[in-house]
Amino acid sequence: MFKNNNFIERSIKGALIFLKQAVFADEYALKKGFLQSLDPRIKAATFFLFILQALFIKNLFVLSCLYLLSLSLACFSRISPGFFIWRTWVFIPLFSLFIAIPALFSNFSPGETMVSFKVGALSLFITRQGIAGALLFVVRVAVSVSFTVLLSITTRHFELLRVLRIFKIPQIFVMTLGMCYRYVFLFVEIIENTYLAIKSRAGTNIHYKKGQRIVAWNIAYLWQRSYKLNEEVYKAMLSRGYKGDTFMLDELKFKARDWFWLVFVLSISVIFLATGVKI
Amino acid sequence: MAEETVFRLEDVYFSYLGRYPALCGISLDIKRGEKISVIGANGCGKSSLLHILDGLIFPDSGKISLCSKELKEDAFEDMAFSSDFRKKVGFVFQNSEVQLFCPTVKEDIVFGPLQMGKVKTEIKRRLDELAFVLNIEELLERSPHQLSIGEKRKVAIASVLIIDPEVIIMDEPTAGLDPLTTRHIIDLLTEASRSGKTIITATHDLHIVEEISDTVYVVSREKKIVGSGSPERILADTQLLKENNLVHIHSHKHRDATHAHPHLHIDHHH
Repeated sequence: MFKNNNFIERSIKGALIFLKQAVFADEYALKKGFLQSLDPRIKAATFFLFILQALFIKNLFVLSCLYLLSLSLACFSRISPGFFIWRTWVFIPLFSLFIAIPALFSNFSPGETMVSFKVGALSLFITRQGIAGALLFVVRVAVSVSFTVLLSITTRHFELLRVLRIFKIPQIFVMTLGMCYRYVFLFVEIIENTYLAIKSRAGTNIHYKKGQRIVAWNIAYLWQRSYKLNEEVYKAMLSRGYKGDTFMLDELKFKARDWFWLVFVLSISVIFLATGVKI
Repeated sequence: MAEETVFRLEDVYFSYLGRYPALCGISLDIKRGEKISVIGANGCGKSSLLHILDGLIFPDSGKISLCSKELKEDAFEDMAFSSDFRKKVGFVFQNSEVQLFCPTVKEDIVFGPLQMGKVKTEIKRRLDELAFVLNIEELLERSPHQLSIGEKRKVAIASVLIIDPEVIIMDEPTAGLDPLTTRHIIDLLTEASRSGKTIITATHDLHIVEEISDTVYVVSREKKIVGSGSPERILADTQLLKENNLVHIHSHKHRDATHAHPHLHIDHHH
């Protein structure tokens, strides 16, 4: 959009694509798969347990089993393996790269040298212990991210919000989060339409300095819109009798399937922890 | 027996920030079961008037009362009064986006009755009934941002109808809607009116005025009521409508002769 500087355009497009994918991901939550059929509270609690295990287990084989379990659950929940792997491995380097790479070297993980090379005057040694540590770390991140993504794509966002109640998070906070999620999409639409309006009138021949001014002006405009919307939404809430408390129509109920899943998870967790935690 | 007055406005003035007048000396009486339309050009203060009727903003001067009880800001601090008022008066906002603030359509519809402490089994019964009537059963588990404008408007109306208020206030209920959805909404209003509800609508869509009103009020750019009466009388007064930007002179050709007449936008409605 902006001559000599398409950074802003790429950022806007990237953010919009990501948010739209979040909407698209709702389609997975609506599929009739195994994880979708579980009570969101049990699902969140058991996945939290898996992530905790991933933090304590030091055996690479057991961690890999946990990762395979997440892949199998994705398949049983009618999630395309390609989509799931892409979705998780987008985040894994983000969380692990900066920690795992230095851990390869003898400065951080002293031990048996496997590879050595020089960068200028600096001699670097990759150690066996370093590779093992980095691998363990990456798999640990992979397991944690996989279960987190699995939870988020097999559970509808409002159910996830209801799960927060089991952690005793105040209902008003949960409601505010729900409203933020709701309105983020409205603002995404506004940003997208503004972007298209600028493009339709100005094309691609805007100097980057003018482009920056347009973007700054739009940020201010969006802030004004959100402020006005905030007032109007509050009026709409008052109009329908809002008194500061929130209530739910359907309370969640556990089914036999949820208890079976819980027993299964507790059983394999005992096995994983017994075999995987070594000091 | 005299007809019961639901709303009475006496010389109401309202301004934003004390500087920008929105209503100047509005006086009107609305009877129980009456259908009222407030028409006027954009920015004439229709929405402000409806907000005042719904107790969301309060007059700078003048008096507004519901069933003889004056509506003042401090009166709404009394929970019993506030709750009773909200049960009696329902408001469909012009922008459905602001009215649909919950994560799902279903939660949005039941928000009002849950706040008012209605029995859950009764709320579920009403929800099923309204979803069927409005043909929105498929939408209940969806997020409001995934709906079309027409669907959003239907859900916003459902969120008010479920409260079963005595007075339904609607701000531009058919703006931006396709003809079929417009028809559906007019039918709903007509049905609500038949069941004894008072209907107050702000619009500048003259197509629908005749069907949804017993009395029409014309608000001018000076934020004053400049005319009132039956829809037939108001719609026939082209001079009044022209002065208030509700009609324009439409010029077109019939063979070789150019012909001009006031265009009410109701001529093409069959």
